[in-house]
Amino acid sequence: MKLNLRNWKTAAVLVVISAAVAMFATGAFASSHAKVVKVAIMTDCKGAFAFGYDVDIGGAQTAFAQFAHGVTKSHAKPSAGMTGIHVGTTPIKIVGYGCGNDTVPLAVTETKRLMEKLNADVMIGPLSGDEAVYVANYAKAHPTKVFINGTAGSQDPTMQIAPKNQFRYHGDGAQWNAGIGELAYKKLGWRKAAIIMDDYSFGWTSAAGMIADFCAVGGQITKRVFPPLNTTDYAPFIRQLPPPNQVDGYFWVVGGTGTAAALKAYEQAYGKLDPKKNIGNLFFGFLGADKVVAPKVVGAYVGGFGNNPGVHYPKVDAYRAYAKKMYPAQNVDDGFFYNYYMAAKALTIGLAKSGGAVGAKLDAALPRSIDGPFQISNGGQVTLDSRRQAIQDQYQLQLVKQPNGSIAPVVVAYVPAVDQSFGGLFKPTSPPPGRTQPPCKKVKTPWQGKIKVVTNGKVTNQILK
Amino acid sequence: MNPSTWTLRQQVERGIAAVALVIVIIWPAAGWSSYWSHTILLETFIFGMAAASLVFLSAYGGMVSLAQTALFGMAGIIFGNLATKGGPGGTSKGLHLGWDPTVALIGAIVLTTMLGLIGGAVAARSAGIYFLMITLTYSVIAVYTLGQVTKISGFSGIGGINNYTPGWIGDVLAHPNRLYYVALGVTLFAYVVIRYIVRTPFGIALQGVRDEPIRAASLGFNVPLHRTLAFGFGAFLAALAGVLYAWFAGQVSPGDVDLPQTINLLIMAVIGGLVRIEGAWVGAFVFFLMQNYITSSTHVPLIGFGGTIFGGSFNTLIGIIFLAIVVVSPDGLMGLWGRLFNTRRRPKGGERTAAPATEPAN
Repeated sequence: MKLNLRNWKTAAVLVVISAAVAMFATGAFASSHAKVVKVAIMTDCKGAFAFGYDVDIGGAQTAFAQFAHGVTKSHAKPSAGMTGIHVGTTPIKIVGYGCGNDTVPLAVTETKRLMEKLNADVMIGPLSGDEAVYVANYAKAHPTKVFINGTAGSQDPTMQIAPKNQFRYHGDGAQWNAGIGELAYKKLGWRKAAIIMDDYSFGWTSAAGMIADFCAVGGQITKRVFPPLNTTDYAPFIRQLPPPNQVDGYFWVVGGTGTAAALKAYEQAYGKLDPKKNIGNLFFGFLGADKVVAPKVVGAYVGGFGNNPGVHYPKVDAYRAYAKKMYPAQNVDDGFFYNYYMAAKALTIGLAKSGGAVGAKLDAALPRSIDGPFQISNGGQVTLDSRRQAIQDQYQLQLVKQPNGSIAPVVVAYVPAVDQSFGGLFKPTSPPPGRTQPPCKKVKTPWQGKIKVVTNGKVTNQILK
Repeated sequence: MNPSTWTLRQQVERGIAAVALVIVIIWPAAGWSSYWSHTILLETFIFGMAAASLVFLSAYGGMVSLAQTALFGMAGIIFGNLATKGGPGGTSKGLHLGWDPTVALIGAIVLTTMLGLIGGAVAARSAGIYFLMITLTYSVIAVYTLGQVTKISGFSGIGGINNYTPGWIGDVLAHPNRLYYVALGVTLFAYVVIRYIVRTPFGIALQGVRDEPIRAASLGFNVPLHRTLAFGFGAFLAALAGVLYAWFAGQVSPGDVDLPQTINLLIMAVIGGLVRIEGAWVGAFVFFLMQNYITSSTHVPLIGFGGTIFGGSFNTLIGIIFLAIVVVSPDGLMGLWGRLFNTRRRPKGGERTAAPATEPAN
């Protein structure tokens, strides 16, 4: 065989490729043995929740700045990074930001990259429900690592799976909706309702909260409809809903780009939306809903997100002031921002107590009770249950037109100390929320009859009637 | 096997293969980066095998199938349904039949192969773009079936599958090297079986069917049957990879079989080259190398722009590489490698056949 110039050109290309491979491989052997706590922040930078990337990172880093001396590289762009984080003498390094797309396969890749390649000791995250189910299973299989949920709302991670090294300092999707059923029953007089829910873990969990709360006070769910995630034409699903004259109202648990499309399909089928006959979960009021969705249903009640926009008291105002100074462009009342903030805050407390130790010592040291800016009951402390799931106050909302013409969610009801079980309806032995779970049952939830009216940003002593 | 009779190309290739094999065998034992052995190399073995099923169908059957990812995912889902158990602390979705993992493993492979045979029988009478479309349809059916039939999967899929391995693998987290060596062994098995199959009378006839289906039919070969059996064999290979993936990832969901994942597998096959089986693993290795390092490699000359490569956008880089491969070397990296030893100059304005040049089957 004779090698000619053409062969040499090809050889040169192969040599360059080999060199690149070698360069990457060399990096793989590098390791650090400095006594640094490595933290990974897992969120989404693609898919329906891509907008949450800087919001989530901003929330976590605000806590690192406030409680662990972190210095942000950019007040405009949280993902630019943060340096100088330390608790006592323990330095904390953010080794990476996870870039998911709210699906499991990328969660697998990103979790392994963060926890095994970048060798993080602690994960703060993830963002969405299905990712959290994967991460919970991953956590169970990796007991030496610590996982603090970011803002994912599926029930399974802390109910059916519940690994010992996983913590969630915010409510799940069902908890966020605690009280909304009672509101519909008492304020709007609903007795029979239908529900339309995204056909995946967060949709089921969020719907479970509405169903459980509404049925707990005596309401009936006469029809459940499940459009798949990423549906574009909702007309067939709207036609599955009973017409307006057969029910008192509809609960909507349709998120992302689907919310506006589903409401539009409803309008085409049954005419203008009546705010007294439609209640949405957080997708009516948060995560970009203000522009397209909220104007369609001004006056409608909306399920909560564990936060209380517009409510003022010194603790929450101090939090808002600090967070706004850190990242002025971020909505610090957003659940995405706040839940990541709480996760990072808990981590700083845990590391201070463990003396910088990670693994099982950090599991033991992470707080079972933590001061939360949005928390009022229990002395302002968010507490964890035995499965390390938050028991947290919830706030139900109403879409109100603001003086500047915009539509914003305003808190109308305060639901104290909501736990994950809904009066025993949800248990580790019960199936996770699904199309038919939970059944419609009249039960006694701990907050039943204790929901307080919120007026003009103040929690009153008046009980919801 | 007499090395003295090998050509220079055979000597070099077999030398490289031997060195690569020794490296991957001793990697975990040598204590080198466990991230590489338990993630990059393991994913290379698994997805390389799935890509090899695609390359096999393309190179020897003339069928570019977009259904291999669907079959890969179906195997994982079937295994998850058969093997997992529900209840407290268990996984939360699926049928939870609680079969012995070894029985479930066999069941998943058999059922997936049967799905492949059925799908192959339907698609076998079409060719070219129509075959591509039919197999794409299988992929879409898989996504929606898994997403919609919540009894067997639902959008979230089935988790915790890594806890249900046969005793001879054990806990994949406590003993991750076992899964590594099992995957390596299955990879070698798949490679040897493919090499064997293409040399059998069936394999030779399949290549005849690929090149001249009408002539093969006129000679008495049952063309659809050959294609169906090849598709079934491809499904068998994809099933092996699918179950290994289920143990590796722990969770299988519709997202594993959706269009982006289908395209990813095609990209691996194209990067490696659709003409040689070995290309499947080469393509998978390059793919995962980039996927794992592109989002965090900084200060790379020329393309780092002071931060991560292309701002950490893996899709941008893989897209550029895919385009470059298609333009510069349609036969992928294996084709590029082959050209190094090709002393014949291609005629100007050369005729490249639409079908990829294939290895002799001898």
